[in-house]
Amino acid sequence: MTALDLPLREQAAGIASGEIDAGELLDACLARFEERNPELNAIVATFPDQSREMLEAAPDGPLRGVPVVIKDEWPLPWRAETVGAAAVPGVTTQPGESGPYRALRDAGAVIAGIANMHELGSGSTGNTSVYGAAHNPWDLDRCPGGSSSGPAASVAGGLVSGAIGADGLGSIRYPAAYCGLTGLKPTFGRSAMEGHHIRNTETIVSGPLCRDAADCRLLASAMFGEELGAEERSGLRIGVIRDPFWSDSAPGVREACESALESLRSEVGGDLFEVELPDQDLILPAAVLVAQSEEAAHLTPLNLNALPEELSVLNRGVLKLRGLIPGSLTARGFLARAQARRNLAQLFERIDLLAWPTVPAVAPPLTDPTIELPSGVTSADAGNARQGVIANLTGVPGVNVPVGLDAGLPVGLQLLGAWGQDALLLDAAEALERATDRQFVELRPAAIA
Amino acid sequence: MEAGSAFQRYLDSALESFGIEADETERAVMAGVWSIWEPGMNLLRDSDLDGVEHELKADLSSPPAG
Repeated sequence: MTALDLPLREQAAGIASGEIDAGELLDACLARFEERNPELNAIVATFPDQSREMLEAAPDGPLRGVPVVIKDEWPLPWRAETVGAAAVPGVTTQPGESGPYRALRDAGAVIAGIANMHELGSGSTGNTSVYGAAHNPWDLDRCPGGSSSGPAASVAGGLVSGAIGADGLGSIRYPAAYCGLTGLKPTFGRSAMEGHHIRNTETIVSGPLCRDAADCRLLASAMFGEELGAEERSGLRIGVIRDPFWSDSAPGVREACESALESLRSEVGGDLFEVELPDQDLILPAAVLVAQSEEAAHLTPLNLNALPEELSVLNRGVLKLRGLIPGSLTARGFLARAQARRNLAQLFERIDLLAWPTVPAVAPPLTDPTIELPSGVTSADAGNARQGVIANLTGVPGVNVPVGLDAGLPVGLQLLGAWGQDALLLDAAEALERATDRQFVELRPAAIA
Repeated sequence: MEAGSAFQRYLDSALESFGIEADETERAVMAGVWSIWEPGMNLLRDSDLDGVEHELKADLSSPPAG
């Protein structure tokens, strides 16, 4: 094992103590890109000169000298984001100092590369990008998850120990689940977002993908601009909504998550409660409508007719369809959001956490991103969105915790907390790691083990 | 929007009315995606939301006021 394979926190501690040379660590990271990225396609741009300049200027922060990658969704001073696409409808992206860039820089981190993403952030599989699909390190023929495909493949593939992704409708949690990582979708508004091309967003947040909860806590603290303290929790009240989140998940996923949930409950001396969320069937359509409305101002006939051929036909069709959605439906989506937020707030008066599988089935093939559920075969996007969008629609935080393998591919348990309870989620994730002797966060893909 | 041929009629007329160009492949994508979205959208369209209060100046970083 080299310094590059250490957890983020141990890299930071080693640099601070002088045991690790940050320049050598960056060189090793860039060499690892050369070695492994041709197979993974996780990294779409590197800039060694700027990375070394960041290192030379790095302040004495909690991540001083530690290499990380950032999703292709924010500008850097030397590079405009491309959002994994040949064009962003109605938007001309520009280089600049985005919030995530400043947060990483001010913490002393070194941005070593730009990570791939699902084209325009519009899918949960990562199988479509202007740069070509990123590949899942657990099985190169499988989807890494999306839209933060590159961040997840980078960390799972051992290119870096921490990555910044974005989560608009589950886009950190799905790839974290597919790649066996811990991924935090923060409470809305808590993490650095400035400079994102959707400036009016009420659904998208930046957040960390790492191998375990302690590293996520460190990277999230940098993105929040405040330290997220750790606490040993006890007596947690864990809510479980069985149908459809558990009942319509693949058997292997459900069993691994059930086992993990019992381990967590036992570790914290908690209680499980079967709960219901009124009108939960409205959450998915409402989330789709609210999220798409944030970009709708750009969906003019002029912009839609100018979509380039290099944009995938799926996105060209979806964007044009979005341009035709009646305003009354979108207005009802916002009403359903108001109702969902009130219902969820009432639920969180009785429980501390909600828990269900992050994705209902393991990573599907890149060439056929469908999954088989008890209810039948469906697109991975549809199944994943059903499990994840509630956090974006309502603003609450969520985390994916690796909890096992199904047919050799990672399974993830999702924990959701009330607004502002990001630290609680990471505490619970760490409790689950303790309860399972860290066996699932220590798993590595065979190709890099 | 309605299923099947009704959706196709809506699609054809709406694209023409708004002046949005779409080739046959894009139209097929639109129909396919709508077939996935449609059940949820119809549920939302038909749900009784009359008694639901709008959340004014919603702050997504916090629980709803009141």
